[in-house]
Amino acid sequence: MQLRHVLTELRIGLRRNLTMHLSVILTLVFSLFLAGAGILVQREADVAIDELGNDLQVLVNLCTEDDPTVDQGLENCAGGEVTAAQQERIEEELEASEEVESFSFQSKQEGYDRAYAQAERTGDAYLFDVEDPVVTPDTWPAGYWVTLETPDEADGVISALSGLDGVSVITDQREALSQIYGIMTILKYGSWIGAAFLLFAALLQVANTIRLAALARRREIAIMRLVGASTLYIGLPFLLEALVTATIGVALAAGGLAAFLHWGVEKGMAEQVTFLPWVDWSDYVQTLIGAFPPGIVFLGPALTLIPTLLLTRKYIKV
Amino acid sequence: MIRFEKVTKRYAGPGKPALDQVSIDIDKGEFVYLVGTSGSGKSTALRLVLRELRPSSGRVHVAGKEINRMAGWKVPRLRRQIGTVFQDFRLLPNKTVAENVAFAQQVIGKSRREISRVVPETLDLVGLKDKGDRMPDELSGGEQQRVAIARAFVNRPMILIADEPTGNLDPATSVGIMNLLGEINATGTTVVMATHDHGIVDQFTKRVIELEHGKVVRDEAAGSYGFQH
Repeated sequence: MQLRHVLTELRIGLRRNLTMHLSVILTLVFSLFLAGAGILVQREADVAIDELGNDLQVLVNLCTEDDPTVDQGLENCAGGEVTAAQQERIEEELEASEEVESFSFQSKQEGYDRAYAQAERTGDAYLFDVEDPVVTPDTWPAGYWVTLETPDEADGVISALSGLDGVSVITDQREALSQIYGIMTILKYGSWIGAAFLLFAALLQVANTIRLAALARRREIAIMRLVGASTLYIGLPFLLEALVTATIGVALAAGGLAAFLHWGVEKGMAEQVTFLPWVDWSDYVQTLIGAFPPGIVFLGPALTLIPTLLLTRKYIKV
Repeated sequence: MIRFEKVTKRYAGPGKPALDQVSIDIDKGEFVYLVGTSGSGKSTALRLVLRELRPSSGRVHVAGKEINRMAGWKVPRLRRQIGTVFQDFRLLPNKTVAENVAFAQQVIGKSRREISRVVPETLDLVGLKDKGDRMPDELSGGEQQRVAIARAFVNRPMILIADEPTGNLDPATSVGIMNLLGEINATGTTVVMATHDHGIVDQFTKRVIELEHGKVVRDEAAGSYGFQH
């Protein structure tokens, strides 16, 4: 197969349908940007849930050696550090509760690490880094992340645990978090629905482009078929045109997402809203090349190449 | 080289079949005229040979292979053994004469070296040695048909199918085209020519197969056109 001939055909094809290709690229850029933004929002929710728990979770802190609740007059921690027997009792209570779907233990170190990450964002990390700090992994409470069956029913288990020895404070941020996650869910599905409409428009444009290109090249295609060119050879310029279109679309959408992450997130929202952990460049890479949901590097070519393959089979059937 | 065994071809819809139980046997190196009125089944027969159509029943053999059930991906290879020429030349108007001929080689992946060797040779054969750089619209009808023949023959096919190749040409030019087809036939290429041109058929006496309403009504070794229309 002559590469030079194929490349010449590609160049002619791109030039012949320049306006159509430009419109496909524009639609593709916006749709892939929205799809990518949706993926980023989803990853943002994952990152936040990782650190703050989801809107079904409460954190049950266990007593430490010098638990601050003792000074507030609460007696659960009067005995100092939580004992193994107390922990067993707490776990029994959690297992018995119908409101609890599951629970997992968080060690002192894990709790400390999460708090440290949060303090880094809010600029309070110096409290952890001072010489002879008050807060260390040893003084940080261990705890249980408790996932509820439904967000509305937690009173029973919270009141039962509150009375148990070894339980310090129960952190319940569900109300605040559920609003944030609610907004994220709307943004995520909003982006994806917008992306789906635009991707559908892109598909139709790809189909139109191929039909026009096949029409413009019908004489050449007829001759190619007669002299025994293979279907692949006849279809190759169409596929390459689709690939070029997709590559430009993906590159521009990736650039747009990078700009959004840099100026919109890092220099924007992350500086304003410090209590939330934010997506970073590793999430950006996943947005481009992640497997599920598929990254835009896969989405773009798939959306142009698959219809091209199907339609070229229809229009240039040998 | 080409064998039809009780081939019937029906198109969708009511009506008689385009070909009805046709059996033909054409040997390697033969020159055969396919004659008959419009709608007699000539073009259908040629399209069956090219595997552009499949028979409704019966078998079509081309170059020793039964092509009815040939897998789609093998069809291009079959067509590389068949050159095709049409009444309307079907040249690419934006390519020069040499590029039109080279196109048939490029698209089946021949090397540049081979193309630069075979294309001038073929243009020489068809009498257009010095016109390789011309555009098709700068040539006469006869010359354009010569380019089309050069394109059909450049890959040295075993079979050349010509569908009314003199249909758009004056008698004198037609004679030149027939001489050229004769030369190609003399190289061992089987030529099957569908035609309405009784002057040509009568002047260049060859085997004649006449079709009427999809049936073979005459098959003469050295026939004449035989009917007037």
